[in-house]
Amino acid sequence: MTLCPDGRFNLCLGVLLMFSLSNLPKLIRMVILLVVVPVIVSVAGCASPEWQGWSGVAYYEGTLFVGSTDGKLLAMNPSARSGDLSFPAADEWVFPIPTFGLARPVCGPACASPSPVVNIYATPRIADDLVYIATYSGESGRILAVNRVAPGYTEGAPMRSKGEWVYPSVLESIGAIVGSPVLYDGMLFFGSSDGKVYALDATYGEKKWVYDTGGKIWTSPAIADSVLYVSNYERRLCALSIQDGTLLWQKEFPASIASSPVVSNGKLFFGTFDHYFYALDATSGDVKWRFKGGGWFWATPVVKDGVVYAGCLNGKVYALKADTDVVAGEKLWEFSADAPIIAGPVLTAGGLAVASKSGKIYVLRVEDGDLVRTVAIGSQIVAPLCAVGDMIYIHARDRCIYGVNIELGEVVWKFSTLIK
Amino acid sequence: MAELWNTLILEPILNSLIALCSILGGNFGLAIIVFTVVVRMALLPLTLRQTRSTKAMQELQPKLQELQKKYAKDQQKLQQEMVKLYREAGVNPLGCLWPLLIQLPIWIALYQSIMQALAATPENLLNLAQHLYSWEPIVRAIPLDEKFLWLRLSKPDPNLILALLVGATMWVQQKMVTPPAADPRQQSVNSMTLMMMPLMFALFTLSFPSGLALYWVVSNVVGIVIQYFIGGGWGYLRRSSLSDKPVPSRDVTVTKSPSKVLKKGTEESKVVSKATETRKKGFFQR
Repeated sequence: MTLCPDGRFNLCLGVLLMFSLSNLPKLIRMVILLVVVPVIVSVAGCASPEWQGWSGVAYYEGTLFVGSTDGKLLAMNPSARSGDLSFPAADEWVFPIPTFGLARPVCGPACASPSPVVNIYATPRIADDLVYIATYSGESGRILAVNRVAPGYTEGAPMRSKGEWVYPSVLESIGAIVGSPVLYDGMLFFGSSDGKVYALDATYGEKKWVYDTGGKIWTSPAIADSVLYVSNYERRLCALSIQDGTLLWQKEFPASIASSPVVSNGKLFFGTFDHYFYALDATSGDVKWRFKGGGWFWATPVVKDGVVYAGCLNGKVYALKADTDVVAGEKLWEFSADAPIIAGPVLTAGGLAVASKSGKIYVLRVEDGDLVRTVAIGSQIVAPLCAVGDMIYIHARDRCIYGVNIELGEVVWKFSTLIK
Repeated sequence: MAELWNTLILEPILNSLIALCSILGGNFGLAIIVFTVVVRMALLPLTLRQTRSTKAMQELQPKLQELQKKYAKDQQKLQQEMVKLYREAGVNPLGCLWPLLIQLPIWIALYQSIMQALAATPENLLNLAQHLYSWEPIVRAIPLDEKFLWLRLSKPDPNLILALLVGATMWVQQKMVTPPAADPRQQSVNSMTLMMMPLMFALFTLSFPSGLALYWVVSNVVGIVIQYFIGGGWGYLRRSSLSDKPVPSRDVTVTKSPSKVLKKGTEESKVVSKATETRKKGFFQR
């Protein structure tokens, strides 16, 4: 009964009932009941997974942190995982994120599927002894600071003596959080589905300021030179002062912005739904150039040595010259992957690593985009990649974490996040 | 298989819906209404065929029941007789299945389209990105305005209004085509079915995105209109309400013979009933 958490199964159930209980002859009712509906339901994709979320992996002082699709925060020791030790080994733990008594939405029999209450899209952030994790629970969200060494939450309440906190509180919530928070100068910044940007004191979780952008935010902010840049779903990009959240400038675009902005060398880079990839002057918001791709730019781009690498949902990676006077942008090279690129590319010592949705990781030479090697993990990749030395850590759609050695071109270990 | 589904069914419906929204000034609620009406109109020939087949099957039910009683102990003979009966009546028992088979995927795709177009979750948005055509008006129509009247189309209606509308329209639609059964047991099953479905869908509405519930309401209303015109009026809805209507007590006096008022009322009922029957038969006699 849990095939379709978003209600599709319930619709199918309704349709099935509609026909099975109607005045049709018994033979036809049986045919519909046993053959037709299951076939159509499976073809229509009703057997989609019941969980949500795509938290990326974060690395901090030898430990990996990730939010699982069943609402848990995991700390993993990569050495223990490659040694196939039983979980939890040294420096490892699992922390089920409390629901804080969040009531299930009012519903009738249509709520047959027990989808997890807490989902995690944001990649955890770590500073000193705290791990910050943002939650997505339908309409509401919270941000939790959890002790990095051993979570101290007891009965759903943060342990103050361990420095833990929850924002806004165990009784209140804000809009659901999708984009990863950003740590900067002792502050934590993040956007929420309620359209607001929040700035908190990273140590105590106190609110410093809030700015309403007027449209839901599903991207991560970018910060440079005390200016925060954030894009929202309502086609707007805002530049705010990180001191007090004052609006410095804002710009409207013809289409929504899906990719989180990246700021480098006085320019802001991001892609939009209408297939354009933009370079803006970070100070004024003026468009310096815009490049027309072949699909939505969803992945967060990466910039290095004057080149922007942008993955596109048409399966292509574009290497674009960051500083150019050409209004239409200047493409240095492009590479075609076998499937849409949703996860942002990462730069490693061996080259540019790009993951396609199909589960293939391509290592490309940054100079010309030539393929160095390919590694297939056998599961879809949507979450952002985490590169540490020769290793890339991936939270794949099969709900497993993969440790891939990009130099050897092989999967070193695989670990399921479904821990009882 | 899923690719085929997406390319042939889901994507054309999804993109048409968004294009329609763009044409209608970005009003997605209005786009759902117009699209539902267009789809129901396009499926009209199938609906007519289905109605005709169902009607024919219903008319055969008494005879089938007789056969079932008669040959209760001889299944082989029963099957033979049933086939014979179908042949004589010129009815194909699977005749009402094909229209359903074609309509069901369209309904499911429409449901998926509404869910994806509104992009209620990040997964929905990502799916949407992969199913949109690259026509500029469609791409630029995103994000769609989810507000329509008092509703947020990607969220359930917090009031009971939509749930009541879904339940009521579904009940009316079903009532129009459900004939009263002679057998009291069958009648009680029919009454239960008649109440169950609207009640269940009304409950579904409480947890479904209201965009989908809006589709149900419009689809039901279109169904009622179609049924009204092709079935010749309100069908069994009117007939049952007439037969259930109690005679006003103040006009009735207890006498050995029926009063003039009662007689007149009965005569009127007969005329109305006959007229209804004639109108109801209208389409099928053609």
